[in-house]
Amino acid sequence: MQTEGRFDPKSPAIKAYENELAHQFVREGTMVAFPTCLPGMTTPITHDECHITALDIDPEGQIYGGTSGRQAHLFVARFHDLTGVVLDAGPVPDSTNSVAVCAGASHAIGFVNGARGGRAIAIPKIDLAQDWIQEWGLDPPVLQDLGPCVANEPLVHAICDPSRSTVIGVTTSHLFTMEIESGKVSVIGEVSGRGRLGMGSSGIFGQDDGARLWHFDLASGKIRRKAVDLPEGEWNSGLRWARGGDPGQLLTADDAGRLFSFDENHGFRSLGKAHLAPVGPMAMIPDGRLFGFCGTEIANLFCCDTVSGSVSNLGVAASVLEKRRYGYQFGDGVVGPQGEIVFGEDDNDGHLWLYFPKIKSVTRRTS
Amino acid sequence: MSSGHEIDRRTFMKIGTTALSANLVPALEAEAKSPGETPYPVKWYPFSRKPDSDTCWSLSVGPDGRIYAAACAESVPGGVVVPVRYNEEHDNLDYLFNLAEMVDDPGDSGRATQCKIHYSFAPSMQDGVLYMATHLSGPPIDLPRYSPWYSWHDAKRCFRGSALLAFDTRTDRVLWWDTLIPKEGCRCLLHDEERGLLYAMSYPRDHFIIYDLHTRKRRDIGRISSINPQALFLDKKHRVWTSSDYGRLVRYTPETDRLEISPGLLAHDANYQTGWHSVFYDVAPSPDRECVYASTWCPNPHLMRIWLNDGEWPKVEDLGAATQPRDTTFPVDMFTDHCGGLTFAGDGNLYYVASRWRDPKYNPIPGTGKELQGVVWRLDPRTLERQEVTQLKHPAGVANYVSRGAVDHNGDLFFGHVGNRPSGIFKVSMPASRKRKNAHLPIRMWG
Repeated sequence: MQTEGRFDPKSPAIKAYENELAHQFVREGTMVAFPTCLPGMTTPITHDECHITALDIDPEGQIYGGTSGRQAHLFVARFHDLTGVVLDAGPVPDSTNSVAVCAGASHAIGFVNGARGGRAIAIPKIDLAQDWIQEWGLDPPVLQDLGPCVANEPLVHAICDPSRSTVIGVTTSHLFTMEIESGKVSVIGEVSGRGRLGMGSSGIFGQDDGARLWHFDLASGKIRRKAVDLPEGEWNSGLRWARGGDPGQLLTADDAGRLFSFDENHGFRSLGKAHLAPVGPMAMIPDGRLFGFCGTEIANLFCCDTVSGSVSNLGVAASVLEKRRYGYQFGDGVVGPQGEIVFGEDDNDGHLWLYFPKIKSVTRRTS
Repeated sequence: MSSGHEIDRRTFMKIGTTALSANLVPALEAEAKSPGETPYPVKWYPFSRKPDSDTCWSLSVGPDGRIYAAACAESVPGGVVVPVRYNEEHDNLDYLFNLAEMVDDPGDSGRATQCKIHYSFAPSMQDGVLYMATHLSGPPIDLPRYSPWYSWHDAKRCFRGSALLAFDTRTDRVLWWDTLIPKEGCRCLLHDEERGLLYAMSYPRDHFIIYDLHTRKRRDIGRISSINPQALFLDKKHRVWTSSDYGRLVRYTPETDRLEISPGLLAHDANYQTGWHSVFYDVAPSPDRECVYASTWCPNPHLMRIWLNDGEWPKVEDLGAATQPRDTTFPVDMFTDHCGGLTFAGDGNLYYVASRWRDPKYNPIPGTGKELQGVVWRLDPRTLERQEVTQLKHPAGVANYVSRGAVDHNGDLFFGHVGNRPSGIFKVSMPASRKRKNAHLPIRMWG
């Protein structure tokens, strides 16, 4: 199809286009790309071993992560007070893919796949809440290989229960639990191991066959297959669930980028549609705004205001504080202790991207 | 991009447009034919038959020993690139073909256009082919500008991809073409002739791409950084080198199929720089292929000599800043502060062009108004002594930004230039004592 003619540079359409171009990167809020090191003190994780694909955060705001690439690494990070540090806890031999990290009450567990199959790796307790310029003390952490969770089955995902004492995980065909303190694994039963797990008010949800969800009841320890029908949509890829949000509230997207909230009492509710698909990692901050990435190759940040129902394109991720970096692909995200979001960049030389959303305008009450 | 100077890149182009609209170009061309008294006479060859050309990012010597350049039109909606060749018999330029039409991606497609070739000529000596790959940024015909980030997911507007062409310099025919990198431009290109592989850097995603000329298949080895390096180069072990955003060497080793990053930094001004953005701008191989000479794409670009075949990682010799000191409390744009056009000539010396500009403290050139100069330097690799040999002179416009340089089979120097409209190339005739037949050999295999 050939396009005819030129354009009027003063036309509203061209002016609108120019304005769009001027705001194609991070239209709202501020992003900071933080390298996987203590800047100026340590070197980052090797660039082709640093696709950040798994994140979790503990109640104190300490972040745990896992990378993918030539070799998987597990790391710990902290950004508040006098920290500002990402500490590489080390590579995991014979592993190439981190699928989940669970920040337990006693310590964290990483879940990785590789030449020796799916394995759980214990990360020792690491206290990063120190002054990371002077008078800190920390021995190099030693990772502990806890072995496979289900023999001969790659891991797909895992999350902590609300007490952070137990991990609920899924392989390609089984659900298992792991006591974090002891590392003891119990295989609960067969499930469809597609996509990530979400925490509802009574238990865990995962994607079942035929556009349905299975449910694992935490109190009874029972699996209910085909427990919930997914809403009308395209559900062929593995599900992702947003992090953060109210307890029991789940948010997800179908393959076309349609956004939905779900809770066990009210079912699914449509929230709108991201402007690109597929939808990647998402996180909801306390004021009800859901932020996430959408689109392949060069993803865009979007915001879904679950209160107003609007969905907006916030452009391509870019960090300009200290050093410029563009962010194209992201693997996971968590909500930080003060409402910021930390996204893990799933790319060579992946950084942790701290996103500080724009403060919503306040309507002042008049007397 | 404004630096506080009166002339930035866009202004360069406006100057050229004004000259063109006033019908001055033919007269200026004639005036420029007077070489002057210098032993290195300079002559400007505007792309007069491509009046919308605004840049010349690629200039290389072809496998036939002749000079090829790209008449690019990157700021022109619907603009397309035309490869040209210096015709030594008639002392003018031959316009080879409309590249966009050749690859069935015309300028009025509504997409971002095949507007330029950016450091992406690469010769093939065995068959006389000159490979060339296109880059993006030219806007669709009905839009004023193009952003690859903004239009990445827009099937109507997105650049179709870097077009790779095999141009037979013996018959002046394009033998075949292919899409080298879908949706992205090719920032720089390299040919490993013994292995039958082309290497490219993609833009904007900064991925390292390998194209197998036998199978015509492409492999994406992954991302390097955000800021594109402007050069790829090859060592004797068939390893491919470039740089990261952080000013580190990046090495691809075919045997391991892996990109590795050096622990050390490339040369930079440690007084105020960290190495960030010290990416390679231009890299010239020494005639014996034991080392390369390079300049960086950042303010106060440094010259380096890098010994690729020594040690686990090469020794990087900082040869110092290529351009003048400046007030580092205020930024300078890299069109003003620039060094490029590195090439060895028949006398065994390295030639390059570094900018020089009026500065009230560091370079108080007499007179009034803005003055930007393109200074041709000669560096003796034995002593590392540098000597200014001439200045590039444009009849009416600027002459400070040289993209690439090359020496032809007669031993004369040529430099591609950015900043005038129409754009064009400079020829610097070498003194007879410094000329040598087939001075372009051994040929540089990258753009």
